[in-house]
Amino acid sequence: MCNLQSQFTMSFVWVFFTVCNFFPLSMSVSFRKKMKIFSESHKTVFVVDHCPYMAESCRQHVEFDMLVKNRTQGIIPLAPISKSLWTCSVESSMEYCRIMYDIFPFKKLVNFIVSDSGAHVLNSWTQEDQNLQELMAALAAVGPPNPRADPECCSILHGLVAAVEALCKITEYQHEARTMLMENAERVGNRGRIICITNAKSDSHVRMLEDCVQETIHEHNKLAANSDHLMQIQKCELVLIHTYPVGEDSLVSDRPKKELSPVLTSEVHSVRAGRHLATKLNLLVQQHFDLASTTITNIPMKEEQHANTSANYDVELLHHKEAHVDFLKSGDNHVGGNSREGTFKETVTLKWCTPRTNSVELHYCTGAYRISPVDVNSRPSSCLTNFLLNGRSVLLEQPRKSGSKVISHMLSSHGGEIFLHVLSSSRSILEDPPSISEGCGGRVTDYRITDFGEFMRENRLTPFLEPRYKMDGSLEIPLERAKDQLEKHTRYWPMIISQTTIFNMQAVVPLASVIVKETMTDEDVLNCQKTIYNLVDMERKNDPLPISTVGTRGKGPKRDEQYRIMWNELETLVRAHINNSDKHQRVLECLMACRSKPPEEEERKKRGRKREDKEDKSEKLGKDYESDKPWQDSERLKGLLDREKEELAEAEVIKDSPDSPEPPNKKPLITMDEMPTVEKAKGPMSLLSIWSNRINTANSRKHQEFIGRLNSVNNKAELYQHLKEENGMETTENGKAGRQ
Amino acid sequence: MPTVVVVDVSLSMTRPVSVEGSEEYQRKHLAAHGLTMLFEHMATNYKLEFTALVVFSSLWELMVPFTRDYNTLQEALSNMDDYDKTCLESALLGVCNIVQQEWGAAIPCQVVLVTDGCLGIGRGSLRHSLATHSQRSDSNRFPLPFPFPSKLYVMCMANLEELQSTDSLDCLERLIDLNNGEGQIFTIDGPLCLKNVQSMFGKLIDLAYTPFHAVLKCGHLTSDVQVFPRPEPFIIDEEIDPIPKAINTDLEIVGFVDIADISSPPVLSRHLVLPIALNREGDEVGPGITDDTEDENSANQIAGKIPNFCVLLHGSLKVEGMVALVQLGPEWYGMLYSQADSKKKSNLMMSLFEPGPEPLPWLGKMAQLGPISDAKENPYGEDDNKSPFPLQPKNKRSYAQNVTVWIKPSGLQTDVQKILRNARKLPEKTQTFYKELNRLRKAALAFGFLELLKGVADMLERECTLLPDTAHPDAAFQLTHAAQQLKVASTGASEYAAYDHNIAPLQTDFSSSSTERM
Repeated sequence: MCNLQSQFTMSFVWVFFTVCNFFPLSMSVSFRKKMKIFSESHKTVFVVDHCPYMAESCRQHVEFDMLVKNRTQGIIPLAPISKSLWTCSVESSMEYCRIMYDIFPFKKLVNFIVSDSGAHVLNSWTQEDQNLQELMAALAAVGPPNPRADPECCSILHGLVAAVEALCKITEYQHEARTMLMENAERVGNRGRIICITNAKSDSHVRMLEDCVQETIHEHNKLAANSDHLMQIQKCELVLIHTYPVGEDSLVSDRPKKELSPVLTSEVHSVRAGRHLATKLNLLVQQHFDLASTTITNIPMKEEQHANTSANYDVELLHHKEAHVDFLKSGDNHVGGNSREGTFKETVTLKWCTPRTNSVELHYCTGAYRISPVDVNSRPSSCLTNFLLNGRSVLLEQPRKSGSKVISHMLSSHGGEIFLHVLSSSRSILEDPPSISEGCGGRVTDYRITDFGEFMRENRLTPFLEPRYKMDGSLEIPLERAKDQLEKHTRYWPMIISQTTIFNMQAVVPLASVIVKETMTDEDVLNCQKTIYNLVDMERKNDPLPISTVGTRGKGPKRDEQYRIMWNELETLVRAHINNSDKHQRVLECLMACRSKPPEEEERKKRGRKREDKEDKSEKLGKDYESDKPWQDSERLKGLLDREKEELAEAEVIKDSPDSPEPPNKKPLITMDEMPTVEKAKGPMSLLSIWSNRINTANSRKHQEFIGRLNSVNNKAELYQHLKEENGMETTENGKAGRQ
Repeated sequence: MPTVVVVDVSLSMTRPVSVEGSEEYQRKHLAAHGLTMLFEHMATNYKLEFTALVVFSSLWELMVPFTRDYNTLQEALSNMDDYDKTCLESALLGVCNIVQQEWGAAIPCQVVLVTDGCLGIGRGSLRHSLATHSQRSDSNRFPLPFPFPSKLYVMCMANLEELQSTDSLDCLERLIDLNNGEGQIFTIDGPLCLKNVQSMFGKLIDLAYTPFHAVLKCGHLTSDVQVFPRPEPFIIDEEIDPIPKAINTDLEIVGFVDIADISSPPVLSRHLVLPIALNREGDEVGPGITDDTEDENSANQIAGKIPNFCVLLHGSLKVEGMVALVQLGPEWYGMLYSQADSKKKSNLMMSLFEPGPEPLPWLGKMAQLGPISDAKENPYGEDDNKSPFPLQPKNKRSYAQNVTVWIKPSGLQTDVQKILRNARKLPEKTQTFYKELNRLRKAALAFGFLELLKGVADMLERECTLLPDTAHPDAAFQLTHAAQQLKVASTGASEYAAYDHNIAPLQTDFSSSSTERM
């Protein structure tokens, strides 16, 4: 079924023209290729002759009744049939469109017109009309030309006039660009191409057609000048294709592109119908859209008949020629001549590499271009495309004479579209860079890598195709929401393990995961409160905390000091979010009510200024999270350099203070690493106390603990505490106001 | 972006320069002085740049191949001998070869040409090259424009007046024009002296070799970074949008995507993102110009011990196999990811996508990407086993939708044979038979190929007569029905030849038991 054509590689001198659409703009412009959206290929008008003579046979026979194996003997196959000139023209132009739509599904538009006694415009420039199904349905409605119609009434001219009209019509892309550019709207170009397939009578007939187009453009440009909805044609490329039955002599001669006026260029192709016409249009689509051909060789495919063997096949693909940019420029090419079907065409041969790449590998890819198989329905083509559409990728290698293996391309599908990726195969200018561990922050070893991984997964993106609206009715931009979420999630986010206590505690997770949300449900609030009570409970039971002891000599801070650090940190976290909603505020209220505070106000003063400063700072930072310098910057310095020392010192202060609460027990402090079970840490306990502890814990889960009891010291709760607290709050608030 | 320094060592470079008082200088000394300054700057502020040194007169020589070792380059400057006349074209050809051999044709390079503005005489002189430029064939093409993206900086060891007195300046300007305008000419302001040479090279450094500093942000987590090589401004469309766009100095992370979802996207360029520590004056700690290396080391050590967001981000991206999408400007995005150079060394890397609202079709419009928490249910699935990517295009491509192409006879024959094969397996294959039949009918109607419909009808009728005695009676009914339907369609009469009409299986007494058994 698939004949392997012999490949021969030729030394091929690339005719290297640099298309000079570069202008010396300013000195600092980029190195990149520049492009124009609205070039001639933005708008293509097909004008296909539908006059009676197009119903004539192309005189190229197709055997459609092929003898299949195991057939009853002695049957004479049905006579071959042949296509009409019309059928040849239509299927060739459909093939042109197929390739174009495959490779440029957007911004390259086709308007299809058939011409007989009038012009029939089959579709519009709108993007919805731009697909093969629409065109096929419209063509079916037109049907083949009627050979018995009066030839005198029919003319291709109707179609050509309609084509010029169509070119003056603005496309949605042109409209969008004009609206966007406002006063610079004149920068939006209006160029186009008319491909006219007809059967002309003579060279002078062709000239008449050209004159007609020229004239019509002139007239319509005048009209367009006075219209908001039409655009003047700046440049029009007329491609006249004269087609005639095989075996007849052409009455029209070929003529290369010629400028008829500053606006109009014209070229004439005289082509036999049948596959010759198809080949011509295939070449034209490549020229018009800067396409190039790549042949994938050595594709191993299972034979249907012999399931265990596999043969190698070739598949030819078309794509934008930019995918060959490396070959074009370096002259180091593998362009093989391919004399299949008598047409000499250039194709770059790339060899199939047995799939080795996986989806989690990030290749350095300098371009990705949509492809279209030349022979879309052939078995090797559909084998290859189905393989790719199933989500597999294939690396392609350049066959080099030296035998070295250079992987230069990759075929891969993304959502039902196949792309040819260009992989960089030259030396990297970034080779041997300094490792990240040698630079800033490279010596720190306790980054919260796993936590940040979790953070990243929570902040993954997903497309929102339906427009959403904000409360005020304005359009909501999903990406702005994403940034917003990142802002919220990072208001308090210590980067290293030794900088945080709360994020090392499983018990805090329920609160930490919901407090960052924009809005909380009542259930969320309840969970936060539960978390806080749970922490209170832990404190009462004197559970050890995962306070970092890195760099500390001795045992680290005392247990109550640890809790103080923990509560402070939790408060910083919650405070960072109190402005999100009232519910967030409620969590803070709960936290403030529950967190253990020294019972006596005076004690606070006795702790010395240092401590207060620090607390103030953390509060301030919590509140002013929107300040330019996030807290981390100052905190990380402070945290690392001063913290341990300072806290040790503070611990000393507390211990020495006569007013400090009695340490609950005198057992030596234990670091996290060797944390034994809670019971052990508590020392000998009676069965009763164990039992009542259990009951209490169980009960405390069922109801909200009295605030008084929670804050009690040695089971003595101070009354009217809130008065004091309010006073305290006021001072803080005053303090805050003063700072602002 | 590698640099090639091309130094003129023709005799004219030995012309003395009158500097009052001190010892006598030649132009080549001025050149060496300027280049020393450039190399020193690169060694401290731009040390990842690869630089090669080429000297030329009537011949050219690669003195130092591409290296980051600026001492070697420095030494080579003092080992330059004096040769004969200036022959620029061959030197530029040499540059072409050197660059392409090392980097291929895709990597942008900067070419720093140091000359005195005497452009040679006779054959091989720039004047001669330019005069014959229009008569070139492809085999002796003028080396400009360079076949790789490039900037050509011409450093003239002469002042403007001197160059304007001859046509040197015009020739050099044409040279830049030939390089598609990519480049610039620098001349010495005022008298030729060390100071003025310094200021000329200072301008080059400002233009082409200032490190790009930015702030990488992810909400409140930030890090000062250097982006190397410098991201270059980009022109989106020379007609609609001719102004080059530069990237922001705030690189704002907008969210994260799995590597499998971003799936090797095409990028304009790749850059290292190196965290830097800025001290109060805004200079870099470490690589700054400090004579005291001990100070530098200790400063480096301190910087190494301060937690940095880049390192955290890099670590997590690597572990999770994800990339961070980063906004570079209005409608311009890129991605950050961990790139491993070897097993031990890996780095935070940034790739720039082509500017525009939708750089990657499989992600859709970037502005339409939002946080998963806004979705009704997690699009990644509760077990992380799904993904919202890639987006499916509205219209399928031809290779994914079973289009009909009959340009080659084999295409037509395959389609006819499919019908025939199924016809022989009626009534089991009734559904497929009609599916293929309708596909053929549609295409034939669209192409106006009514003769084919007639032909296939004839063929089905013949098949009917060839049915073996053992055949199911329904087969004959279906074949006759199908043939008849094709026949009426082939008349082209609108009531039978409607494109959207499908030939339905004939409802027979047998069909209830026989169909739907595909």
